[in-house]
Amino acid sequence: MWKTVLRRILIMIPQLIILSILVFFLAKMMPGDPFSGLIGPNTDPKQLEALKRQAGLYDPVPVQYAHWLKNLFKGDLGISYIQHVPVTSLIADRAVNTFWLALITTIITYCVAIPLGVTAGRHQDEWQDQAVQIFNYITFAVPPFVFYILGIWLFGFTLGWFPISGSVSPNASGFFGTIGSQIYHIILPACLVALISTTSIVQYLRTGIVDNKVEDYVRTAHSKGVPDNVVFSKHILRNSLLPIASSFGSVIAGLLSGSMIVESVFSYPGMGKLFLDSIGQRDYSTLTALILIFGVLTLLGNLLSDIIMSIVDPRIRIK
Amino acid sequence: MAKEIIQVKNLKVHYPIRSGFWNRVTDYVRAVDDVSITINEGETYGLIGESGSGKSTTGKAIVGVEPITSGQIIYQGVNITTAKNRRKLNYNKDVQMIFQDSMSSLNPRKRIEDIIAEPIRNFENLTTDQERERVQELLDIVGMPSDSLYKYPHEFSGGQRQRIGVARAVATNPRLIVADEPTSALDLSVQAQVLNFMKHIQQQYDIAYLFISHDLGVVKHMSENLAIMHRGRLVEIGSRDDIYNHPMHIYTKRLLSAIPLVDVEHREENKKHRQEVEQEFQNDQSKWYDDKGRVYPLQQVSGKHWVALPKDELKQEEIKEKGRD
Amino acid sequence: MSEKKENTSAKEAKKKKISSPTSSFKVVVREIVKDKVALTAFIVIVLVLLFTFGGSLFLNAEKVTETNIIDAYYGWGMNGHIFGTDDGGRDILNLLMMGGRNSILIGLGVTAVCEIVGLLVGLVSGYYGGNVDAVIMRIVDFIQVLPAMPIEIVLVSVIPNYNPLSLVGIISLFGWTGTSRYFRAFVLSQRGRDYVLASKTSGSSDFKIMFREVLPNITSMIIIDVVLQIASNIGIETTLSFIGYGLPSTVPSLGTLIGFANDPVNVVSRPWLWLPATVMLLAISLSVNYVGRAFQRAADARQREN
Repeated sequence: MWKTVLRRILIMIPQLIILSILVFFLAKMMPGDPFSGLIGPNTDPKQLEALKRQAGLYDPVPVQYAHWLKNLFKGDLGISYIQHVPVTSLIADRAVNTFWLALITTIITYCVAIPLGVTAGRHQDEWQDQAVQIFNYITFAVPPFVFYILGIWLFGFTLGWFPISGSVSPNASGFFGTIGSQIYHIILPACLVALISTTSIVQYLRTGIVDNKVEDYVRTAHSKGVPDNVVFSKHILRNSLLPIASSFGSVIAGLLSGSMIVESVFSYPGMGKLFLDSIGQRDYSTLTALILIFGVLTLLGNLLSDIIMSIVDPRIRIK
Repeated sequence: MAKEIIQVKNLKVHYPIRSGFWNRVTDYVRAVDDVSITINEGETYGLIGESGSGKSTTGKAIVGVEPITSGQIIYQGVNITTAKNRRKLNYNKDVQMIFQDSMSSLNPRKRIEDIIAEPIRNFENLTTDQERERVQELLDIVGMPSDSLYKYPHEFSGGQRQRIGVARAVATNPRLIVADEPTSALDLSVQAQVLNFMKHIQQQYDIAYLFISHDLGVVKHMSENLAIMHRGRLVEIGSRDDIYNHPMHIYTKRLLSAIPLVDVEHREENKKHRQEVEQEFQNDQSKWYDDKGRVYPLQQVSGKHWVALPKDELKQEEIKEKGRD
Repeated sequence: MSEKKENTSAKEAKKKKISSPTSSFKVVVREIVKDKVALTAFIVIVLVLLFTFGGSLFLNAEKVTETNIIDAYYGWGMNGHIFGTDDGGRDILNLLMMGGRNSILIGLGVTAVCEIVGLLVGLVSGYYGGNVDAVIMRIVDFIQVLPAMPIEIVLVSVIPNYNPLSLVGIISLFGWTGTSRYFRAFVLSQRGRDYVLASKTSGSSDFKIMFREVLPNITSMIIIDVVLQIASNIGIETTLSFIGYGLPSTVPSLGTLIGFANDPVNVVSRPWLWLPATVMLLAISLSVNYVGRAFQRAADARQREN
């Protein structure tokens, strides 16, 4: 198994290199340079020019790339053009919020998806299954942002059950008060995102159960006289959960890239919102850093998927 | 002595097996290993073996749809194992193929007319009318009604489809047709029918067949010369008489004993014979196969008769044969 | 004797089967008419198309997007504006027609590009296999793990002379990979089929085999994929327009209209701005997807028949 994991990680190295090159050129395409953030009314143009030269902005592109990469490894992602603070600290604040949102979304997703998938699979073609299928069909077909809008309109404004923006109430005080307020702010967006991310898991689980039900090993178990419930939990479910386990990584990756829309609708101060704000303000150094982070996280999410798959499914392992 | 039409020399088709951390080639599947056969003009040459013995791969290599590892296939003095040489000769105009599974060998989305006309369009310049006439004529030869032209493959039975496959193979007046188990997917009664059409066409147009089969019974009625294949290698080649009446290799004997006989009076005798052959095979593995389980190189017994045995074993076998006679 | 039998049995079989591939269209139509929901979905699509494309015929793009602040924020049915007006005094009904049309056109455009590129790449990759396939699939893998939406947004904002065609290009940049993977898998399974070998021995070129032999066998897959792709690409366009990085502000889009809901005031007190567009997008997404699935079921049913 370690061989599989090691090989999978080795495959990621060229992907990371290409990603870094891609982001570097994307950054080059954007107007501005690392010193745009330093420009103030008192900046001497000549001094700035000297600084630029010193920083190697007039060097050949490969040299610049090497320099950029070196800074990257030192954890230096540049300085925000607009906020005039290091990009890393800007992102770190927001990353915490996005992390909590993603975590709670993931928990809700699995808590909802597994019972739904199991119900649909067990009661194949009965009304329970059909209801789940309709739910699944709608969440698959409609673009996610429509749900966010309808959700915030219904539960946020009309019913007033949940706050409509921010990550914490300004009046919240004390440790538990703050945590409570944060969770209160996360619940609605997390539920809405979970609504969409359940779709594929429910579908996988249902198909897995339906397919496994008619496999010979299940028939064998039945004919040996194993009780139905035991056959289901020990044989069918266990095998049908394999693809779900592996979807974990891609769910995480999907949440991160989808965070933009939901954070924008709920004005939730996470990385996605930061990304949209930065692009609105043309804060290109922050943007570059965020794309790189999104890219690396997506790669890691997929890596995680494959590794989990190789752990739970012995067929994938390399001999 | 008939003139040879095609010569296969030391043909090898190996598939790499990759494994290990770097996915390197660690071994090969020797699908076809050092096979040499010569087919004469207008004859039917039988190539027999069990499934997985490499007989179909050999056939596909001869037609030029299977990339080969090494060896030569000589047609009209040219080695046709490269695509360039095949194109230069218009090789597939002369060498065609009939496939085992008639359903999958006919494109379900094409009309019979387009299917049969495909090689004609590629190799000959005919007007639309001439082409249609030719297709009609071909359908006639294989005994299909002329309204078949506008139908699709799934509208026919297995036997009819195989006859359409025959018509397509004959379309360009080829000199050699590789028939890859053309009847093994058909009912017995239909098998005979398709075989008869094939024989009839052979006589009429002087076509050579490489008849690939796992069934020595069927081949007996078709072929003058035969080659027996096992584990990618030839175990025995010879004339019909050599193979059926004087088999030397245990594998040939096993295949022969497996032909079902309708011979009630000698039932017990036949059964005993089968058991003897099986016994011989079980006891003397090392005599017939080398330590890696591979077949030995061929040794000449007489004129056309070659068998895969070590030299000293060969002598003993010959003595045994003579003693029996 | 058996000859005769075969002929009659073939005839009987013909009567039972709706057989020839040309009539596969009929099978699909039959399947859809039989399924009442699919029929409804199909009618909804036709109505939406009539409304957007038909309505846009009578509209002048410049007039529709002209601002007139005096008329801003009329409510439902006020002053002859059935769906009211927006902050620039533009008639929402007109914006809905043009926006719907534009969103559908972008969806169609992206689908056309993605299907053509995906089909070509899938055919080549699947047909040749081996190293060609390995290289192409590595590239596809890599594009698929890129964070598509952030990169799309950046490209939208930095590309000079940005116009609707650039948007089609940018979305297509990421869209073709899924399609090519889908077709490749199928072509790979067809490659070793005897009919492909038979074509090779009949002297047909690789090019001819790919397009004349293999392609007709994947037509139903193409249709299904096209329909589902259109729905998903309309989704991508409206999402981008919704957050302000889709169609340029002078070109109406359903996404831009729904984007009015980004302002809390609009959500509560001016639902006419965003609700009609939301309903229309819902209708389009649900019905197009449903028809796509009906196609899929029809194709599966036909496969069972054969």
